[in-house]
Amino acid sequence: MRTRRAGRGLATLAVAVAGLAVAVGIGACGGGDGGIEGGGSTEATAVKLESKPSGSLTISNWPLYIDKQTVPDFEKATGVSVNYVEDINSNEEYFNKMQPILAKGESGGRSIMVLADYEVAKMLELGYVQELDKSALPNVEKYLNKNLRHPAFDPERSFTAPWQSGMTGIIVNKELAPEVKSICDLFDPKYKGKVDFLNEVRETVPLVMKCEGVDPDKATEADWMKAIDKIKSAAQSGQIRRFTGNDYAQDLTSGNAVAVIGWSGDAVQLQADNPNLEWRMPTEGCMLWSENMFIPVGAPNPTAAEAFMNYVYDPKNQAQIAEYVNYVTPVEGVKEILQKKDPELAENDLIFPSASFTKSCSLTPIIKGEEEQNIIRAFDAVVNE
Amino acid sequence: MVAVLRRRVIPYLLLGPGTFWLVLFFVVPLYYMFKLSLETGIVGNLEFNWHWANYSEALDLYHSQLVRSFIYAGVATGASLLLAYPLAYAIAFKAGRYRNLMLFAVVAPFFTTYLIRTLAWETILSDQSPVTEFMHAVGLAPSGHVLATSFAVIAGLTYNFLPFMILPIYASLERIDIRLIEAGKDLYASATQSFLRVTLPLSMPGVVAGVLLTFIPAAGDYVNAQFLGGVGNRMIGNVIQSLYLSQSNYPSAAALSFVLMALIMIAVVIYIRFAGSEALMGEEAR
Repeated sequence: MRTRRAGRGLATLAVAVAGLAVAVGIGACGGGDGGIEGGGSTEATAVKLESKPSGSLTISNWPLYIDKQTVPDFEKATGVSVNYVEDINSNEEYFNKMQPILAKGESGGRSIMVLADYEVAKMLELGYVQELDKSALPNVEKYLNKNLRHPAFDPERSFTAPWQSGMTGIIVNKELAPEVKSICDLFDPKYKGKVDFLNEVRETVPLVMKCEGVDPDKATEADWMKAIDKIKSAAQSGQIRRFTGNDYAQDLTSGNAVAVIGWSGDAVQLQADNPNLEWRMPTEGCMLWSENMFIPVGAPNPTAAEAFMNYVYDPKNQAQIAEYVNYVTPVEGVKEILQKKDPELAENDLIFPSASFTKSCSLTPIIKGEEEQNIIRAFDAVVNE
Repeated sequence: MVAVLRRRVIPYLLLGPGTFWLVLFFVVPLYYMFKLSLETGIVGNLEFNWHWANYSEALDLYHSQLVRSFIYAGVATGASLLLAYPLAYAIAFKAGRYRNLMLFAVVAPFFTTYLIRTLAWETILSDQSPVTEFMHAVGLAPSGHVLATSFAVIAGLTYNFLPFMILPIYASLERIDIRLIEAGKDLYASATQSFLRVTLPLSMPGVVAGVLLTFIPAAGDYVNAQFLGGVGNRMIGNVIQSLYLSQSNYPSAAALSFVLMALIMIAVVIYIRFAGSEALMGEEAR
């Protein structure tokens, strides 16, 4: 009896200690890569190309961001074997994951990555991006949309080519929130607890500024803080139900939310499931963004990488991608092709927005240095309330 | 001589693999994280300079989420205990031939992942679900929604960690020598008296272990608050996750992790002191 009880006592203790170790481990997880030292050289290297693409090519992209046919078609056309990885789910998360190896001048075997404007801007500053050889990119030169040719972070598109673009505006349930037409309407107490905001500081805050009548391109740090305060009081009053990423889709389809700040491409897909859901251009205008392909430092086989970039900029090939992903294509000439193939899609303002449709929209702003840190800190404190 | 040597050496050899594992995957990361918590600068350009202000700044911004985590975890642990004890008691003493089936039912949810179980709650508690409509009708959900409230987060925590409470309590109840309870009855103890003076004290090791196993992971949890919470329900785990992954503010995230760890340690030490280590380890610990 005695020994048995001692055994039981010890076993219970062991279980408790194991639990303790697990719990502390939760706190510790993610702390493994502590020794982050100064980045790679900030002097950009340029790619060196061979005459003909061959070998294998690894591409990192976001999930559901390409149709099923383009990659096999490219492989057939060039003889390059492609390893297409959908391992990007968040700009920051991906950057944080790759940063330690990029700092060593390696790319983890990847030759193309696709990230948002501001994230690429950061990587450019750290010297993690290689300069492109434009002689291998005639299609980009010819077909890249005029509006996307001179972004502030890469004025001559020497390092990047847009993959897809999109608009951030509002997605409403037409039946339950018919009157929501502007960002300001999202603050209407009638929809208390039924509104989701995006947890993206560079999209949500400028949209709220627009509601306040401030031009995000000319905004000072004080303007940012004022808009963040407005969001904060709406959160505290219970007006905003929660801050989400793509998961606003769940709230919209289950009726938990009736109006959200959301992305145009998502809306096209959501609408297919529930015709009551609709993306609306806010009366104040939307936010425009793009996600960009680039070749990271240390990337193997840049020749094949540029061949792929050039390939997807052929309007014929791009039409195939555009038809599938429903975001705004950066390639000109695609609309004309789709008008024959799928006229309804070609007339959709969310996929081929006309200049008049997006006239009051702003590009996602690039904020830097201490100002960026202060703004992100303030916004994240609200999101994490 | 050889026998003595063997007796001395073998215990250390047995400790070896476990110690190696702990040093490699616990102590080493802990060291890096501690160093990280005292660095300044932005990712890619961090510098170690004993910057203790990381701690005060992080606490200044996020102390309410820290307090909230402990309150949520405490309430969830209390609720788990209230649900688990009668259930464990019933399984141990009253279930008869259904005992194994009931134990299986307790463990069954573990066959699906934690994430899926929590997402299921998101559906169960959504605004137009019958559960929510019923709760609204009887006045339990005055705001009209249950999801995105602290109630939903605590309910999720309670549900997800309940088996960690049931199993240790069951294990200690099941091993109680039934003759001790019979002896109590022979000495004219009422059912209540024999429960309070015999069964409950003998089951304390299970209760203490269950409380620790529930409270500790619940305090650091972020999945429940992520899916079931809304504005004003974020826990410290969410803050740490967001500092790491969306703000790239590694030093503050590391500092908060250390604060969380320290607070949990303190809470556990106080609790064990209070509950008595002999309750945890059995009488032999004295």
